Amino acid sequence: MSEYMRKVLEGKRDTRRRLAALPFSQKLILLEKLRDRSLLIAASSLRRQQHRRQPA
Amino acid sequence: MKATLQVVNRMQADGVIAKYAIGGAVGATFYLEPSATLDIDIFVAFGSASGSLLLSMQPIYDYLTARKYPVEGEYIIIEGWQVQFLPPGDALGEEALAQAVETQVDSVPTWVMTAEHLVALALQLGRAKDFSRVLQFIEAGVLNTVKLDQILSRHELLAKWEQFGDRFLRKR
Repeated sequence: MSEYMRKVLEGKRDTRRRLAALPFSQKLILLEKLRDRSLLIAASSLRRQQHRRQPA
Repeated sequence: MKATLQVVNRMQADGVIAKYAIGGAVGATFYLEPSATLDIDIFVAFGSASGSLLLSMQPIYDYLTARKYPVEGEYIIIEGWQVQFLPPGDALGEEALAQAVETQVDSVPTWVMTAEHLVALALQLGRAKDFSRVLQFIEAGVLNTVKLDQILSRHELLAKWEQFGDRFLRKR
């Protein structure tokens, strides 16, 4: 693994650790934002078109 | 989420449910970084005036629909969140419910399953997303391995744990 990739992965681990250490109430606010975005993505016309293109 | 939990607490105070515990992805968020989920899994013990166990979910539906919370498939939408109420199912579920830890969400009390019980339940379910969650717990280093071992042993999940280890943890 390259030094660059090692740093990238380390940074991701740090971010996950930082998020995991947040108080539960704050994490639930982030969870709500993630849910809202998931619903937006699911409802987007681009995604619906993609689904139509895929064979059953 | 706070408003949803307030409604669930009111159900408890009104005797519709007895003890409850949050499981699934929302429960895991207590210990890990948040990851996207659309619903809240709430494991419930059913209360009744006589203290006996009611096997029907009907009182929950009756209580909530009377308060204009809509039912969508297996979910009830409470203050914007899809909530699924689940009976414990087996001894592991009952233990997870009994040993849930109390916490607070903006001063609203609530109960969350222990990390070890969440892992045991995920292992028992055995879907891809459950295995992924188990790996997250291991990587986060939040598990009490002695406690987990005892739970897995008590509920005959050690063979599944071994298989999980062979598949995802051991270097080939």
